[in-house]
Amino acid sequence: MTLNVEIKRYNPEKDDAPHWESYEVPADPLDSALALLLHVKWHIDGTLSLRKSCAHGVCGSDAMQINGENKLACSVLVQDLVDNDGATVKFAPLPAAPVIKDLVIDQSRFFEKYREVKPWLINDNPAPEKERKQSPAEHEIIEEATKCIMCGACTHACPSTWASPDYLGPAAMLKAYRYTFDTRDDGEGERLDTVDSENGLWKCYTIFNCNEACPKDIDITRWLSALKRRSAVTA
Amino acid sequence: MATSPPIETVTTDVLIIGAGAAGLRTSIELAEKGIDCLVLGKRDHGDAHTIWAAGGINASLGSLDPEDRWEIHAADTFNEGHLVNDATAVELLCQRAPERIRELDAWGIDFNRTDDGTINQRYFGAQSFRRTCFVGDRTGKALMETLVQKAMTLNVPYRQNLYITDLVVDDGRATGAVGFDMETGRPVAFDADAVVIAAGGHTSLFRRSSSRPDENTGDAQALAFRAGVSLRDMEFVQFHPTGKVHPEEEAGHLVTEAVRGEGGRLYNAEGERFMERYSPNQMELDARDVVARAIEQEVREGRGTENDAVLLDISHRDDAYIHERLPRMVEEFAEQGVDITKEPMEVAPTAHYAMGGIEVNFETGQTAVDGLYAVGECTTGVHGANRLGGNSLVETIVFGQITGQHIAETLSTRPHTPLSEAQVREYVAAQDHLAASEGTHTPEEIMTHLRNLMWDHAGILRNEDSLLTGLHQLQQLQEAARDLDVQADRTTLRYENAQNVRSMLITAETILRGALERTESRGAHARTDYPDKDPAWKQNIRCVPTGNGGMDVAIHAVDAPSAPVQRAIDEEHELDYHHLE
Repeated sequence: MTLNVEIKRYNPEKDDAPHWESYEVPADPLDSALALLLHVKWHIDGTLSLRKSCAHGVCGSDAMQINGENKLACSVLVQDLVDNDGATVKFAPLPAAPVIKDLVIDQSRFFEKYREVKPWLINDNPAPEKERKQSPAEHEIIEEATKCIMCGACTHACPSTWASPDYLGPAAMLKAYRYTFDTRDDGEGERLDTVDSENGLWKCYTIFNCNEACPKDIDITRWLSALKRRSAVTA
Repeated sequence: MATSPPIETVTTDVLIIGAGAAGLRTSIELAEKGIDCLVLGKRDHGDAHTIWAAGGINASLGSLDPEDRWEIHAADTFNEGHLVNDATAVELLCQRAPERIRELDAWGIDFNRTDDGTINQRYFGAQSFRRTCFVGDRTGKALMETLVQKAMTLNVPYRQNLYITDLVVDDGRATGAVGFDMETGRPVAFDADAVVIAAGGHTSLFRRSSSRPDENTGDAQALAFRAGVSLRDMEFVQFHPTGKVHPEEEAGHLVTEAVRGEGGRLYNAEGERFMERYSPNQMELDARDVVARAIEQEVREGRGTENDAVLLDISHRDDAYIHERLPRMVEEFAEQGVDITKEPMEVAPTAHYAMGGIEVNFETGQTAVDGLYAVGECTTGVHGANRLGGNSLVETIVFGQITGQHIAETLSTRPHTPLSEAQVREYVAAQDHLAASEGTHTPEEIMTHLRNLMWDHAGILRNEDSLLTGLHQLQQLQEAARDLDVQADRTTLRYENAQNVRSMLITAETILRGALERTESRGAHARTDYPDKDPAWKQNIRCVPTGNGGMDVAIHAVDAPSAPVQRAIDEEHELDYHHLE
């Protein structure tokens, strides 16, 4: 089949504003959406910029808006987007982030927020001679949250992020959940200070856009709700 | 061609080339001791080949098998390496593995747990006990994340999308490196008192490989070689038995060994569980080279599938168990419409790991060039003639720590040698020259030919004829590469490929020469004209640089294991596969 691929292009050195460009791309229903973009880059217009790396849903670098929804380009198949010859597939950068060029967004604010929640194990007690014990049941509490690949699809799908650029957003707060609920962690106090704030948990209105966007099917809203309960109890 | 942008100069005490587990662990050790360092990666930060490691990381914790101890881990490593390993490397690896693993646990990695709450351990090929710690089947990703987060707490600086083209060596001492920023195209010179190469292996030299095609191009080895360091054991390339066969763009990507560790069975196209003929005791969990050759043999004798592959089946296990232990495999195959809880996976061998590489002193990480260090897959010695699954991740953190510590302890005694401006200008001019090069052959054309020749002539089964043919064809490619058609600036894939070709041709030659020299079969090196192991060959082969890309082949004697490890070897521990049934 041949598809009409539309890409939101923007080169700050040349363009005043982003604009759409169309490309005719041969495709197979089992191709990934990323393959469409690579076809454009390799065979039609080498100046197209996009982030991509593992092409396998592991590295999280190619999250973008595809036909209006935030997805990992490598993890969605053409057949899940369109089914007829000549159909249109639209690619735009993740919304609510500054665009560097074409599909590449500036992620620095996103990673600053990640850093703000102290995404590491905090425990000042001397480590025991062997590992800190954790039962499989205790591990299971955080297991789903550890599958996050920090692609940013959720945070940039969240209306609270669109409205308040300083909102920590679901990705950072999911990390806060992952460490706060890790039984080996002792940093609840310092971490909750950050998330239990004006730009933290309470701007989550359980709209569920994050859950829908997550390419790893993480039930983010559920874990943020658990974090809200913990905050309420601790406060 | 327009003149290149002005050269950016960056100064740091320790320059670390490579941002995978080995580079990061080295940087963490340096930062903890207050040493200034800078980590360079070719890709976005946090995205390194480490994240592809799935199955696990070895340490004799004895969580489930208390009789395990470091000496038996060492014995298994020597046995798998067919006794041409570096004895110091193996012993340091196995002694230090438990403390490094527990340190990761203290830093927050979420290893799967036993019912007692200790770190769980699984079976892995050719290991006497359950010794492989794991985070589902995404252990490398979890390791990487833990190291990135730990480095973040220490404010370790990094540069991403940075390609290093040359090391600067002055009077036998490493003083920095030259490269370019892949996003802006700007050339960059790094002035440093010590340089650490932690830039991975070379398996993308082969047509079917578990590596991403634009990584593991052998640039780490070629950088060291061009700087005057010998490469050793290059003939030992591990072919992993189970790579994917389709879709085409994923051919060669790994189906984790954990599938076999959790009881996966191999069948040929006739439905026969053929490992019964090759290895009745260890079955599918025999060493990787044994299983890879068995599959190759089945296919050559006409018992493979139409894709020249065999079938790997885990469907006899419970659905829930498969989902718990192998979630990523379930997901990846589901994308291709295969439900591995119900049907088998089609698999064939794939180039997976470079046992050979840069020669270092494992007590310090130091190479023969003063101030130049190397850590991780780019080095040689830990694994001998074949690597035990689960030993590569642990190598990165054990020797990253040792190297970082040694540099931290000795850096203040090193007088600063300023970066040679003449060399910087020469290397940047060479970058410009390559970008402007107008010729007959594209880099992609040369890479494709090279990958085919390495697979066909220096692959799973080799002989003198194939290797001589391979060397002859390689010389033709080296000739063709002098007439390269690039005409692209430094931000393009074409330019990156042109730089890769430079390295690939050097590293490929060392593999071919080593393989031709070793007239026996040992571990991953299988010669059909010399099918047996020859005790006289219990030594290493070195490729010694003679300048201008030339090389001599030399022999290196192997040290014997220490007495406690030799005792463990003599005790003949062995995995009894039928524990699993």
